[in-house]
Amino acid sequence: MVARPAFAQRWAVAIVSSERGGAYEEASEALREELARAGVTRAQVLELTAADLASAALPEVRLVVTLGTAAAQKLARWPAKAPVLCTLLPQVSFERVLAESGRQASAQFSALYLNQPLTRQLDLARLALPHARRIGVLWGEQSVRQKPALAAVARARGLDVRGVEVKHPSPVFSGLKQIVEDADLLLAMADPQIYNRDTIQNILLTSFRARVPMLAFSPAYVRAGALLAVYSTPAQIGRQAGSMAMAVLQGAALGPVQYPQDFTVAVNVHVARAFQLELDEEGLTRALKQQERGP
Amino acid sequence: MSRVFDIRQRMLLAALLPVSLVALLLSSVFLMGRLGDIDAAHTQRARMLARQLASASEYGIFSANIGSLQALAASALREPDVRSVVVLGDLGQVYARAGKAAYPVLPALGASEREWRDERSGNDIMVQPVTASRIQLDEIFEQSVKAEPVNPQLLGHVVIEVSRKTLQSHERDMLYTGLFVTISGLLLGAFLALRIGHSVIQPVLRVSRMIERISAGELSARVSVRPDDPLHDLQIGLNQMAERLEQGRDELEQRVEQATLALRQKKEEAEAATMIKSRFLAAASHDLRQPTHALGMFVARLGQLRLDEEARRLVMNLDAAVLALQDLLDALLDLSRLEAQAVHVDVRAFPMDRLLEQLQSALAPAAVEKGLRLRVRPCSAWIMSDPVLLQRILLNLVSNALRYTRQGGVLLACRRVRGGSHLRIEVWDSGVGIAGEHQKDIFREFFQVGNVERDRSRGLGLGLSIVERTARLLGHPLALCSRPGQGSRFSVEVPVTASVEIPGTPQDRAALRDDIDGVSVLVVEDDRMVSRALQELLSSWGCRVVVAEGVLGALHAVRSGFEPEVLLCDYRLRDGATGLDAIALLREALARPVPACLMSGDTDSALMILSREAGLPLLHKPVRPGKLRVLIRRLARSGDEPVAVLDQLKGDGLA
Repeated sequence: MVARPAFAQRWAVAIVSSERGGAYEEASEALREELARAGVTRAQVLELTAADLASAALPEVRLVVTLGTAAAQKLARWPAKAPVLCTLLPQVSFERVLAESGRQASAQFSALYLNQPLTRQLDLARLALPHARRIGVLWGEQSVRQKPALAAVARARGLDVRGVEVKHPSPVFSGLKQIVEDADLLLAMADPQIYNRDTIQNILLTSFRARVPMLAFSPAYVRAGALLAVYSTPAQIGRQAGSMAMAVLQGAALGPVQYPQDFTVAVNVHVARAFQLELDEEGLTRALKQQERGP
Repeated sequence: MSRVFDIRQRMLLAALLPVSLVALLLSSVFLMGRLGDIDAAHTQRARMLARQLASASEYGIFSANIGSLQALAASALREPDVRSVVVLGDLGQVYARAGKAAYPVLPALGASEREWRDERSGNDIMVQPVTASRIQLDEIFEQSVKAEPVNPQLLGHVVIEVSRKTLQSHERDMLYTGLFVTISGLLLGAFLALRIGHSVIQPVLRVSRMIERISAGELSARVSVRPDDPLHDLQIGLNQMAERLEQGRDELEQRVEQATLALRQKKEEAEAATMIKSRFLAAASHDLRQPTHALGMFVARLGQLRLDEEARRLVMNLDAAVLALQDLLDALLDLSRLEAQAVHVDVRAFPMDRLLEQLQSALAPAAVEKGLRLRVRPCSAWIMSDPVLLQRILLNLVSNALRYTRQGGVLLACRRVRGGSHLRIEVWDSGVGIAGEHQKDIFREFFQVGNVERDRSRGLGLGLSIVERTARLLGHPLALCSRPGQGSRFSVEVPVTASVEIPGTPQDRAALRDDIDGVSVLVVEDDRMVSRALQELLSSWGCRVVVAEGVLGALHAVRSGFEPEVLLCDYRLRDGATGLDAIALLREALARPVPACLMSGDTDSALMILSREAGLPLLHKPVRPGKLRVLIRRLARSGDEPVAVLDQLKGDGLA
């Protein structure tokens, strides 16, 4: 027999994953660990997938945490009383979900982004490549909305953004060629129109040939040939989401959208060597974190 | 030879068929396999080239780097067999082109690779899509509202045209090589089959030839044995067999030869014994003839003297005894003549009637004497036979019948048989009959039923033997039908013929001189007793007789003026001379063919043949006075035609 829970409600938190396995599993696990550390047993955490919601009613919970874009889309239209924390999705995806569902980010529907804040990326660029002044960016239809923000952040750091907008479905090459001829660093912004598994190799090849290193947003890009990337692991996201969830369970309102606090810097040593650079992942991470905390 | 060919053909077939089949099968399988392989290799190479080019073109198309694409196309064109290379963008725009394409227009190109053969040029065309190479990225960043394309992004196409000429020439070369190897294999196989077959067939043929020779009786045939021969043991065995066969045959031949030798010795002994017997018989009869001859003469002369009643009766008895003695000697003579086949058969057509008349007149007195009735039924048929010999058969049969019949009679009758083609002459008697068990024996010499004591009055037992031999000589079937106490019926069958006109016979002229009174006769005889008896007998008949003891005496008598009308010569004269010599000399001396007659005590058949060849009648001693008288009368009448006389005499049973 299962002992009756201390709460009146059977379930404290519902975790709705877009899919099973992989990054979602990792994030979910970290989230539950974080909750468990605060006294919420695993039995009080309901785990679901977005697909499960099609056939099952969502029981009454105090907080819904979505992992991934699909789950966020689902919960955006779900008539849930509990507040919804969307996480493990990039800022562009959350903004699109909001736009599609017509909701506003609020205490009832907030997000923890997957992507790093632009400041962190540019800070890393300055740390790793102190001589790089011109930052090249290929803007897709989604990412182009961040253009003003980037320009502002860059300006604050004395950097120059050289951006080219690529309209779907024209090829990226001409814009890319233009940028690599005119930039010291290629800053990859998460946008599937520009950066996807079909295009990444040729983009990296082009940038490499032009001797313009790429600063990317995920470790996969580093493996594919980007010089370095700053990113948060699903576990890091999960832990942060856990602490956010505990705050809600303890009676606080769901806060505004957040960027991940914890992060990792990855460096492709081979590429760095090709560019005759000496880069250290841990050192960079440490330096970057230190820089964020402030002096 | 066909059998030989058969073996060779079969050997060749047995050796060649598997070789040919295997060679053909293997070469076709390998050839097909190889052709398929090089075809597959060709296609694979073209495909690899297209893929390589596609992957190499990826960045060029992505970066629209026409220069690098052109260089890639040109380098691909340098590959052997490549005829043209075209690199197309995703919208079908031509980025690079190398070589001149033989195909007219490209169809719509999809996202998958395609290959086909251009009908006109026969070239293979490979279309390889150029896609962006994919790298696994973090899904969470890539998730978007739009569905992710499953297929990688299509950047463009690479079209390579590859000629098949080199491939075809390779295939041709391979085909020729395959054919060459197959034919060489077949030839080698045939050569080996012939060689091996030869080495097997030759021993078989040698053995077969040897067996043929043995079966043809040539047992000395041997097959040459060679130590490396596959049939070595068989050949040794065959040779041993042939050797044993030969030994066995030699042994058999030796035994047969020995047996033959023994048989020949036995036969020679038997022949010698028979010859001794014959010689004894001949000598005995010759020696008996001379005195019997003389005795006959003396008895005849004695009968002519005036005698009292008692002496006359004695003379008559004496005459009968001499007659019986002469009959016996005659019969013996007949038998020896038949045995010697010295009897001349003269078959001709003659009327049966005449023969029956002669028989009637000859035998009627004997029947009357015995108180029996002899009936002869007349017959008008003409028959084909020797009248003299047939008369002797019937004479013997009827005399026999009379001899063995005590009462009743004897019937001589003729009956047409076998549809009238033959005449069966039957002699019936009412005599004692002959038991079945004796019916074969009665035809043997000296066999007499129930006459163990050999009563002279019952005949000699030679008659039926003479009858049987004579009938056999003439080819007339002789039959006997008899039962004891019921009489007997002897019959002989002769062929019937049409009647023939008879010319006048010399007998008609015989009446000219009825007697031999005054006939001059020269007798040449070395036996004094015989010559005295002859002289007395002839003189008593009124003949003028001169007797000479030898040839010289006779010639002397002739030269002294004696002109004989008839010569009577003994065959065997003194000093080795013969009657033939004497007659020849006398005729020469008289310068005319004087009628002559030979006399002999020998029953030698050679003498009979000699006398017949010389055309002289031969009288066998003892000569019966009656016969002698008839002969002299006929000879005297014939004048200078002795040969005609011979025929006549034969008709009378004298020759």
